[in-house]
Amino acid sequence: MNREDRREISREYFSRERLAEHHFRSFNAFLDNGMQQVVDEKETIDTDIGDKEGQEPVRVDLGNVRITTPRVREADGSEELLYPQEARLRNITYSAPVFMEMTIVRGGEEEEEYIVDQSETKVGRMPIMIGSNNCNINEFSHEELIEIGEDPADPGGYFIVNGSERVLMTSEDLAPNKILAEYDSKYGDEIQVAKTFSQRRGYRALVLCERNREGLLEVSFPSVSGSINFVTLVRALGLESDEEIVHRVSDDPEVVKFMLENLEAAEVETTEQAIEKLGKRVASGQGKNYQLKRANYVIDRYLLPHLHEEGVDEEEVRINKSYYLCRMAEACFELALGRRDSDDKDHYANKRLKVSGDLMKDLFRTALNKLARDVKYQLERANMRNRNLSVSTVVRSDVLTERLEHPIATGNWVGGRSGVSQLVDRTDYMGVLSHLRRLRSPLSRSQPHFEARDLHATQWGRICPSETPEGPNCGLVKNFAQAMELSQNVDDEIELKRELATMGVEGIPGVETPGTQPADD
Amino acid sequence: MSTTTACPECDGRLHSEGTETVCGDCGLVVDEDAIDRGPEWRHFNDDDTDPRRTGAPLTRSRHDRGLSTEIGRSTRLKGRKRRRVARMRTHHRRASIGGKAERNQVYGFTEIRRLVAQLELPESVRDRACVLFESAQEAGLLQGRSIEGFAAAATYATCRTAEVSRTRSEIVDRARADAGELAAAYDALNRELGLPTGPIDPTEYLARFASKLDLPRAVERHARALASAGADAGLVNGRNPSGFAGGCLYAAAREHGHDLTQRETAEVADVTPVTLRAAHRDVRDLDVAAEGDGGEDREPRHAGSAPADD
Repeated sequence: MNREDRREISREYFSRERLAEHHFRSFNAFLDNGMQQVVDEKETIDTDIGDKEGQEPVRVDLGNVRITTPRVREADGSEELLYPQEARLRNITYSAPVFMEMTIVRGGEEEEEYIVDQSETKVGRMPIMIGSNNCNINEFSHEELIEIGEDPADPGGYFIVNGSERVLMTSEDLAPNKILAEYDSKYGDEIQVAKTFSQRRGYRALVLCERNREGLLEVSFPSVSGSINFVTLVRALGLESDEEIVHRVSDDPEVVKFMLENLEAAEVETTEQAIEKLGKRVASGQGKNYQLKRANYVIDRYLLPHLHEEGVDEEEVRINKSYYLCRMAEACFELALGRRDSDDKDHYANKRLKVSGDLMKDLFRTALNKLARDVKYQLERANMRNRNLSVSTVVRSDVLTERLEHPIATGNWVGGRSGVSQLVDRTDYMGVLSHLRRLRSPLSRSQPHFEARDLHATQWGRICPSETPEGPNCGLVKNFAQAMELSQNVDDEIELKRELATMGVEGIPGVETPGTQPADD
Repeated sequence: MSTTTACPECDGRLHSEGTETVCGDCGLVVDEDAIDRGPEWRHFNDDDTDPRRTGAPLTRSRHDRGLSTEIGRSTRLKGRKRRRVARMRTHHRRASIGGKAERNQVYGFTEIRRLVAQLELPESVRDRACVLFESAQEAGLLQGRSIEGFAAAATYATCRTAEVSRTRSEIVDRARADAGELAAAYDALNRELGLPTGPIDPTEYLARFASKLDLPRAVERHARALASAGADAGLVNGRNPSGFAGGCLYAAAREHGHDLTQRETAEVADVTPVTLRAAHRDVRDLDVAAEGDGGEDREPRHAGSAPADD
């Protein structure tokens, strides 16, 4: 490419639209799909009404969620469009009302279910990113921007809460749902560990599969203290016979040898025994029935949650979980045999960036849960005092608003992270640009973490090799390279899987392989 | 930070500009790159352990003025200790409410908070409404009347005294109380506590109605002029203020050639079209020089969509 063309491209990358593009894309995706996804996950708000005799149960169904553009409600009750400059000058929040369809349903026990009240109600206000699709100055021309007091060169990509401009720091996390094999030391011995951060709908569970010094595999996951024998767990998941387990782990003769050692030391022979054994671990000292119930609950709820999918039945999910555990076991053994090196955690293929939309999604999820809890409480109170249940009298819109605004205003995000939102650096124009394109590693700055701070070869073209602060944050706070392109997660996973199936991938759960489709379809 | 208050050279007055302390007379830079010893505003790793900068402000809108302590949750606690803390949490929560009266107050305050949030009133209104509710409770007015009614009445009364009046129906629509409960509670408040309220000024309604009807500013301004002229002429006496406000808006809209039906206006003002027509008849002949009062006809308030119906 000649010099002129290169210059042209460079200039394009420095245009107003490009500089904060990752923020816009992420936040717009959140507004367009993310919010609705979170509401659909929640689906209903159940109440305790109906637990007593002679009362019909009540629940609230959540429907479509809708968001407008930023408005301000004056004290005299009038509502007007709000522009960013006014929000800055008046120290108010640049936020748009959020509306949600809610239906109060009563009955289902003895009577027929019937709708008590149904309406679209305002549930709160959502801070809106300057320059996003729901921003009032979106698609304004140069002259129009000047007319309303906005700087036409301002890149946007931040929020205004109580008059102060806050940018959400992109955070660099270890990729979830991926097997990472590495060495660890326990009681002075070197052991091999395969790790997975399993993540689904904001719930994150670390699953560890380690090969201890006797060569036996142990798995640990949340809600179970200590670790569980690998063979026991796979058998509990439905992978029963010795042959099948070995075959699923590996065909390599040396790995098979390791695996046979494990099977010899197995504690249980059948699925039933395995679940009993697990029940004793998760609910020791309880009744037998409860132990079994608890064991099944723990397997379905806390073990590898990312393998759960819409439209895939529990049976298949369980067997998939066992296959996944076998892959983890294989990784451990291969590491022990020196067939592979430990995974590089600093490799950029093992990193995912959480941009503003992802962060807002986390926030919206917890805010909605809080709102749901409040609606439940209000409904129960209203019912107890024999009031009519109506949608408009059970929603307290300030609950959601406060839960959304407060973390952005203070930087104290859900999940105990702090410093997520920062005051936009207005030292100069370059400061703003740099700040919007900054990313932060969640690693503690008080520890050395030499490898994490080092420039990694895979950062080429993605991360600026020279722009990083001096001092404790050195190498942990980074900046995007000029021509960095951030790829986005696939929204429609089903579509992706269908595509993969047509390309010849077999056995994808929940997707019919083209050849096996029923004829009547 | 320099402790000297005068210039060491000429005893002139010092003032700080950014990071420099400069003498105003001779221009001597006395100090530069001052260290800010004020509270730190950045985030540090020890934020959790060092609570120096924490704590919510006091508020009258909570039964304990926001001074409650909550026992938190920790993932580090396991087994017996965890259960003990959970038990302590339950006991603590129960102990935080002293008696029946306090429990009623909590319920009333939550209802006021909910109402204020729904009506999108400022926070000061919320706090004052809560104070009013509390004094009603202390005066023993709640006996035999409903808490919901008092919550609604306290909000309504505070709006009236703060000159941001809402109509009764606006309150009743969103409150858990019905119109009768509101009326009973408001009458009791007014009678026993002597609320400093006079007749409602119709102009308080104009902005809100105009925004609901999506009227341009010029119309609202004209209506405001009509309303104050009407008040001077004594036309408001004996009229429903919201009906009068609606009549002024309707008259102003017609004057400006803006399409507005009586029914729409009456609905927003929560009066019958008859009331509206009566008010309109009164004000339409008023001679108001509202046109051409310097206000260029700005675009309507809601550029795109219709006003959100909440």
